Amino acid sequence: MFEKSLYDLIRGMRNHKGNEKEYINDSIKECRKEIRSNDMDLKSTALMKLTYLEMFGHDMSWASFNVLEVMSSQKYRHKRTGYLSAVQSFRRDTEVLMLAENQLKKDISSATPTVISLPLGAIPHVINPSMAHSVLSDLLPRLTHSHASIRKKTVATLYRLALVYPETLRPAWPKIKERLQDENENPSVTAAIVNVVCELGWRRPQDFLPLAPRLFELLVEGGNNWMAIKLIKLFATLTPVEPRLIKKLLPPLTKIIRETGAMSLLYECINGIIQGGILEAVEGTTEGDEVAKLCVGKLRGMMVIEGDANLKYVALLAFDKIVRSHPYLVSQQQDVILECIDDPDISIRMRALDLVVGMVNSENLTAIVGRLMRQLRNAPIASAADDPNNDRGRSAGVVPYADDDDSDAEESLRPHEQTSDQPPPLPEDYRVSVIRRILEMCSRDTYSNISDFEWYIDVLIQLVRVCPATKSVLATEEDEIENTDDVGSSIGRELQNVAVRVRSLRAEAVDAAQSLVFVDRRDQMFPSSGNGGLGVLEHAGWLVGEYANYLTQPEPVLNSILHPSTVQLPSTTLAVYLQALPKVFSCLASNDQLSWTPERQTLMSLLMARIIHFLEPLSTHPSLEVQERAVEYLELMRLASEAASGTATGPEHGDFTDPPLLLTQAIPALFMGAELNPVAAGAQHKVPLPPDLDLDTPINPNLQLLLSQAELEGFETDDDDVYAAYTEPITSTSAPDPTISAAERLDAPRKEPTSYQNAVEEEYLDPDILARRKAERKERYKDDPFYIDPDADKSGAGSGAVTPLSRIVREGNNNTEVDIDSIPIMDLQLEQSRGGTASPADGIRSRSPARRAAPTRRRVEITADETLGPSDSSPPNPSTLQQQSSKSRNNFLQVDSSGLGSLSLVDDDEDNGAGSRRLPKQLTRAEQARREAEEAEMRRALAEVERKRLEMQRASERIEPTVAETVVSRKVRKKKKKVEEGGGEAEGGEGEGVVKKKKKKKKEKVEGEGEGDVEKKNEGGAAEEDAGVVKKKKKKRRVVSMDE
Amino acid sequence: MINAVLVFNNAGQPRLTKFYTQLETSVQQRLISEIFTLVANRPSSACNFLPLPPLLANSSKSSTPTTPHNDTPSLVTYRHYATLYFIIISTSTESPLALLDLIQVYVQALDGLFENVCELDLIFNFETLHATLGELIVGGVVVETQLDKVIEGVKAQGAVAKRPVNESKGGMGFAGFGRGDGVWAGR
Repeated sequence: MFEKSLYDLIRGMRNHKGNEKEYINDSIKECRKEIRSNDMDLKSTALMKLTYLEMFGHDMSWASFNVLEVMSSQKYRHKRTGYLSAVQSFRRDTEVLMLAENQLKKDISSATPTVISLPLGAIPHVINPSMAHSVLSDLLPRLTHSHASIRKKTVATLYRLALVYPETLRPAWPKIKERLQDENENPSVTAAIVNVVCELGWRRPQDFLPLAPRLFELLVEGGNNWMAIKLIKLFATLTPVEPRLIKKLLPPLTKIIRETGAMSLLYECINGIIQGGILEAVEGTTEGDEVAKLCVGKLRGMMVIEGDANLKYVALLAFDKIVRSHPYLVSQQQDVILECIDDPDISIRMRALDLVVGMVNSENLTAIVGRLMRQLRNAPIASAADDPNNDRGRSAGVVPYADDDDSDAEESLRPHEQTSDQPPPLPEDYRVSVIRRILEMCSRDTYSNISDFEWYIDVLIQLVRVCPATKSVLATEEDEIENTDDVGSSIGRELQNVAVRVRSLRAEAVDAAQSLVFVDRRDQMFPSSGNGGLGVLEHAGWLVGEYANYLTQPEPVLNSILHPSTVQLPSTTLAVYLQALPKVFSCLASNDQLSWTPERQTLMSLLMARIIHFLEPLSTHPSLEVQERAVEYLELMRLASEAASGTATGPEHGDFTDPPLLLTQAIPALFMGAELNPVAAGAQHKVPLPPDLDLDTPINPNLQLLLSQAELEGFETDDDDVYAAYTEPITSTSAPDPTISAAERLDAPRKEPTSYQNAVEEEYLDPDILARRKAERKERYKDDPFYIDPDADKSGAGSGAVTPLSRIVREGNNNTEVDIDSIPIMDLQLEQSRGGTASPADGIRSRSPARRAAPTRRRVEITADETLGPSDSSPPNPSTLQQQSSKSRNNFLQVDSSGLGSLSLVDDDEDNGAGSRRLPKQLTRAEQARREAEEAEMRRALAEVERKRLEMQRASERIEPTVAETVVSRKVRKKKKKVEEGGGEAEGGEGEGVVKKKKKKKKEKVEGEGEGDVEKKNEGGAAEEDAGVVKKKKKKRRVVSMDE
Repeated sequence: MINAVLVFNNAGQPRLTKFYTQLETSVQQRLISEIFTLVANRPSSACNFLPLPPLLANSSKSSTPTTPHNDTPSLVTYRHYATLYFIIISTSTESPLALLDLIQVYVQALDGLFENVCELDLIFNFETLHATLGELIVGGVVVETQLDKVIEGVKAQGAVAKRPVNESKGGMGFAGFGRGDGVWAGR
């Protein structure tokens, strides 16, 4: 048979264009045969091929035993192949791992450095706690190996050992420390140790403080920039626990910043100064100011002068860290940072976006938001799905295919020149993230940064238009969580929030909601393609209903709600619409000042007939929430309709005839009442429990019966909708805050008054919004009775206009379809107070005349969240929830080092000094518990090892008797040692386990007759070995105590 | 620490995969293709840092911003040489600019071993590719950054084979590839 080499395989793959899959499957089949061969060369080659194919995602876990065979070959070449395959293919659940242990131990103890390197490189990939325990004793002597390359690799390997088995550090740390302190140590080894200490350092910085002098020495000596970077990173974690270090560190760090030619070192210096809290520590002193200036100046230089995208990126990263403590320093660099928002590189943009959110204040908010808005508006809506290349191999994995031409692959790896320099289109998730950031910036601290809410409302409306399409409406309909993720819905929530919190701007907010609800303007208000932004309708619908008396055009609103297309809205939105329907209706119909004329009767009947017509089909809607509301209001409307037709009408121009009470009193009473206010997230918890409230007794003892009945009737149970519909809009507000009156901030003289009139606005707001703003401003001035126009005569608009009279005028307008726009807006304020909302804010809310006259002194009252008792600084406890969730889903690439957190290295030194490996008495209870758990786990692991070993052994026996023999002998020796160690370490209950294990072993012996002799022989050898181990241990202890 | 080192070509075919944690083969492949998607569309003027691929981004969201250091991989650094992309995934304990230099050292070491290294060398000698990386990084910790020592370490393991003779088409005088580009080169 002709055997392929790796080279042949690769050539073959390249020569089989189009049917590589078949070729690879054939090759794997060949490998399966070859790997069983007794010829080690053939075996090793087959393994190499499999490892190569594994890179492309072809499973080779079945060959794990063969990997072991090749690892145990005497030839270095084979060994290397075996180790590489082990690293690449062994997984947590690979069963031969236990068998590999002996091979690893053997190779670590080899005399040849290159052979030692193999297990050192492989152990980090395959290690588990029980293996770590046994390999440790072989690794430790390698820390003093004559070859520097072995020493440095051992240090790294020990670190990974410590991650899975923290106890490693007890014996290992003193030795590593000794290496670090040794000034004659090879610089490579020192650098490797520094790298490891840097990884360990942030878990328990206090343990590494004793090393500070040596580390400082290394930093000042310089010479190795790589190491200096790590040292600075390490010091940044040490300074918070030892503030005295700061004084010491500052001179060398500033020296490096001033003198170094290596940009990476310069950057890490600045980064270290920021992260180590050095900037805060020296704040206020002349020295501190100088350092801050130096750092920020250098960072600015990185962004401007170098013109290097990488430097720009890392400078933004550094700024992002400064901005948390020194926002003013970053704000000074606003110009360069804002440039980055428009950078063609999406990585830089994202960083800049993060940063900008941190540095926003009331002065630059408009400029920043404007910039982002312009970006959203000008870029075409493009999605990543447009590019078919992007989807390549997403689920199927990358399939190796033959290259078109070898010449491509022969190109030398020089820095690549790419032709396309076009800015990437805005991906959807970036778009969403920009919108979210805008909302976040604006709503921060209950809108403390916003001075002009009209501007904000316009921004919100503009945002709706640039919304990317949501992925699927169905998903949002079914899943509440998904629903809250929709950007449109977030925008809507903001609009709602503004309307509820800012009374003086409620009219404008409702106006915006009204324009969003209009069906005939939908093309204009929403993105032309896709269904983006429709989530906003849920909140807009609520607004037009709840604040129906603010509507300037209630009738068109009602028409839009009744529009046939409404039925197609998602059920949550539809439910909100249904609730808004009677509210708007009652606003139109409830006027009791107007005589009940035949004309009015007809009008009302017609309206009600339309509503009934609309509601009827919805009373069988699949969504329970929609159905319930539809049925309720259907009945109410039928009732009202009867009342309207039953009430006698009065003459057209005669005496006053009372309209039906149902329309003027009953229906409005359903929706009027206490004003809805924002409620703090934690307020519900503070409501005291009534003493007589019994939560344990079932309300209906026949609950089971009811439920089973309900099931029979095929109830749908999406009652979550009910809950969501009532709670969501109100609780959606940001975390509870102490009342911050925006007015306080606004009182300060502003440098840029009327920022919204800047020309930039035109760049990001659509023309129609701009036109409306202009018209509104004009209108406002025209109608404001308090506005004193220096040129015009004042006869037209006197303060006398604000009387109940004007209300009557307006009501007349409602019925007779007069142009409603001409009504002075002041009226709305009166309407509102009639609504029965007496609040202390009444005096300030409203477009007070003073505001008109002096716009710079505007006062906007923002309602804070309502709560009981002292305001809770933390919302219920999302943080704990988050912690839990973060624990449960660990990152898959993550190497968990949390085990190190509880292992004190300082204590450890003392223990070793006393020459004792037993638990010191001062161990905390938690530590003891952890240890016990660890030991229990170790016992379990040992038992498992035992079991698997036997299983594997029997399996292999059946296949290859020759291999089995060697395995058996290894097994016995191993077991013995384990038992010895277990017995030595544990007391009490542990002993029983040992006995059991021995019994078990004997049983096995009886079973396997053929092995008997071999085992006995080996037992003798094992005993000798054990004695050796004990001796070794004693010796080791002595060495340790001398160290101290 | 460093969580993974990947090398793939312009078509997304892996040339080296090294994960410093044990990871399912299918997940490995998914991660590679996600990163390839991210990296393939970047213009050459863009910076060498990638946003987190979806696989990593989801899990890192849970980490609180108050802890600057953690075990979660948060940095994806890449460099593009001719037909190959070199990628390093790491946690925040690594310096981003130093990682770029590390990739440079890796490629320079390969260049030193193969003399004018090209993708073909790496395809046919993928064991050497691994060995070189093994001299630089052990278990996710950087153990060596000096070029000559890396090369020395690899050579100690045995002669480095050039690519098979008949595969070579010759005439690839690409000198000076190893010059550091950018003033920020660590050393």
